Amino acid sequence: MKRLHLPRISLATALAAAVMSTAACGVGGSGDTGDQPTKTGKIEGNITFRTLQLKPTFTDYVQGVIDAFEEKYPDVKVKWEDVPGEGYNEKLVADAQAGSLPDVVNINTDSFQLLADRGILADISRLDPKARADFVPGAWDQYKLPGKGDAVYAYPWYVTPEILTYNKALFAKSGLDVDKPPTTVEELFDQAEQITAKSGGKYSAFMADPASRLPGDWQKMAVPILNEAGDTFTFDTDKAVEWVKRMKELYAKGAMPKESLTGAADINQLYGAGKLVFGPGSPGFVKDIKENAPKVYANTAVAEAITGTLGHIGIYTQSIGVRKNTQHPDAATAFAKWVTNGPNQVEFSQHATIYPSNAKGLDDPRFADRGDGTDAETVARATGADLLREAQLDANTPVQWTSQVGDAVVRQMQKGIKGDISAEDAVKKAQDDANKILAKQRDQ
Amino acid sequence: METATGLVHRRWWVPYLFLLPGLGMVVLFSLWPFVNTVILSFTDAQILRGGTFVGFDNYTRALDDPDFYTALTNSVLYTAVVVPALVFLPLALAVLVQKNIPGIGFFRSAFYTPVIASAVVVGLIWQWVLRSDGLVNTVFLQLKFISDPIPFLTDSTVLLFSAMAVTIWKGLGYYMVFYLAALGNVPATLYEAAALDGAGAVRRFFSITVPSVKPMMLLVGTLSAISALRVFTEIYILGGESGGPGGDARTLPFMIREVGLGFAGESGYASAVSILLFLLTLVFSLLGHRLSKGDER
Repeated sequence: MKRLHLPRISLATALAAAVMSTAACGVGGSGDTGDQPTKTGKIEGNITFRTLQLKPTFTDYVQGVIDAFEEKYPDVKVKWEDVPGEGYNEKLVADAQAGSLPDVVNINTDSFQLLADRGILADISRLDPKARADFVPGAWDQYKLPGKGDAVYAYPWYVTPEILTYNKALFAKSGLDVDKPPTTVEELFDQAEQITAKSGGKYSAFMADPASRLPGDWQKMAVPILNEAGDTFTFDTDKAVEWVKRMKELYAKGAMPKESLTGAADINQLYGAGKLVFGPGSPGFVKDIKENAPKVYANTAVAEAITGTLGHIGIYTQSIGVRKNTQHPDAATAFAKWVTNGPNQVEFSQHATIYPSNAKGLDDPRFADRGDGTDAETVARATGADLLREAQLDANTPVQWTSQVGDAVVRQMQKGIKGDISAEDAVKKAQDDANKILAKQRDQ
Repeated sequence: METATGLVHRRWWVPYLFLLPGLGMVVLFSLWPFVNTVILSFTDAQILRGGTFVGFDNYTRALDDPDFYTALTNSVLYTAVVVPALVFLPLALAVLVQKNIPGIGFFRSAFYTPVIASAVVVGLIWQWVLRSDGLVNTVFLQLKFISDPIPFLTDSTVLLFSAMAVTIWKGLGYYMVFYLAALGNVPATLYEAAALDGAGAVRRFFSITVPSVKPMMLLVGTLSAISALRVFTEIYILGGESGGPGGDARTLPFMIREVGLGFAGESGYASAVSILLFLLTLVFSLLGHRLSKGDER
């Protein structure tokens, strides 16, 4: 019998594995351009509809919406496809470039910019001029493109506003007034200092993770993120340096879980275990904590999000876009409008912790009910709805703050907060790195 | 009537027909993407658009990029520590569990469990063990071995070694199975003869076991070097998305993901770094091959 040649096998395996490890990306094509579609007045035809990760949890709801639409418009057949969240936006753009984007598609702020910029989405304000009145202004304006006037490239759909959640028992234990949660970043830092002084190392105040805190904290502190033209980062200011210094001081004192600096710590787990005073700022979290940690839920209070000098929150809606070169613009527009109408959005909000971006939907009494003011989930729903009505785009992360820019800034902030470099150097280096990336992205 | 030889001559292509589906998959999903990566590495392609030819720009950029050197150093250090550990420790383990004593099956299974555990579960367990208020730090603090928690996950260098520990822990059972197969082929008569000659357990291990499983050691060395060079999950789970504080624990695959993903992802540059990683992998593979050649002579 022949002896196996292990070294040769190992070389072959090595080569194969190495080849597979380098097998990567593909080359894209070009986007389509052309005139806006013209409606014919006939709502008919077969259209495709793509959603982002709604199956299987919301299969019944979405299918119900589709069935009701098909019943109302028997000449339309909707083919629904649901795609997982991982790499969703990249897939959308790749499909758009390949000409295989569905007629009606679930998009978000990031993917809308890319699709609309490439002339792939229909202008809803032309297809459906009266739609504007149906949505809260912050949500409607989000789907405009700079330099494209009043054109709006998607129907706003559901939204999850930012709120403030905190453990009122730990808050009170620190000698703080439970009815006076922080409203500015500076107040958050002051309260965190007091919390840390009283905690005896048993719990922390908030999470350090600069990736989730920035650029929001700076915007709330009136740090100018970009210049007027939007082509240069300008956040290297005394206030940003002060932010790093306070974070460093508080981190060293134990106001934040050590591992939260890199984002490796789980905020839900820490808050649920009573080891964190300020929880995640999402209404969905309140529901989770109610189900998973009832004792902590009983001590959970909800307040308006920290908005600092801005005075309002940003808005990040999911939306429904219509492909510009769809063969059935009437059916596609009617269906997109149908999915995002008030009653359907309100019904969706009964199945998930989401909010309607539709103003009529938001007027539903369910979003005004605060109960007796003690149940966190009920208060969260009303608080989130109040914040949404006033939401404005200037609190959103600027589009120039790409993931590469975010990574570069976060790295320097981590070094600054740990004390490996000075706060001044951290902010300066972060701005330099961010501007280099921005310049490169502009050139490409 | 056709003879068997005639059939062979007429239908010489039949074996290739059987090979075709597998070969097609390899070409489609491995070779073509590899060739595409090589092509991309000479362009300024981004994730959402094709690029233009830029020659060796991406390679010279990598050689001027401090982030590349950080990632390269970490990858090489990772390999240098993990490979010897994964060549020798599983061998020792295999020798221990090879013996047929009651209950040994339990230990074999226990050692293999980390291999089948999901990366997320492994990550959660090790975070719980290593974080500042985790098991190890709490025990050490209680026993007064240390006055401050060891920054297993918050210091880049220590984090890198923590991740190595996880890789080694996961690999022990996997490579132990390789060695068990190799040890099964060593004739028992050799051990009996050596024992009769008065050789002790240690002498028998170094004079019989090690030479007998040497080809397997080279295979394990090569395979573990490849997986060490491609390490990503351990660093990501323990050190977060930034790759440790300040990103100082990033390895080459971590860097490739970082520059290549997102809407502004630079496919061209990421491909160039991929090719450099491929060349590095090739160096380690050839090293293993050369060692085995020397052994054959």
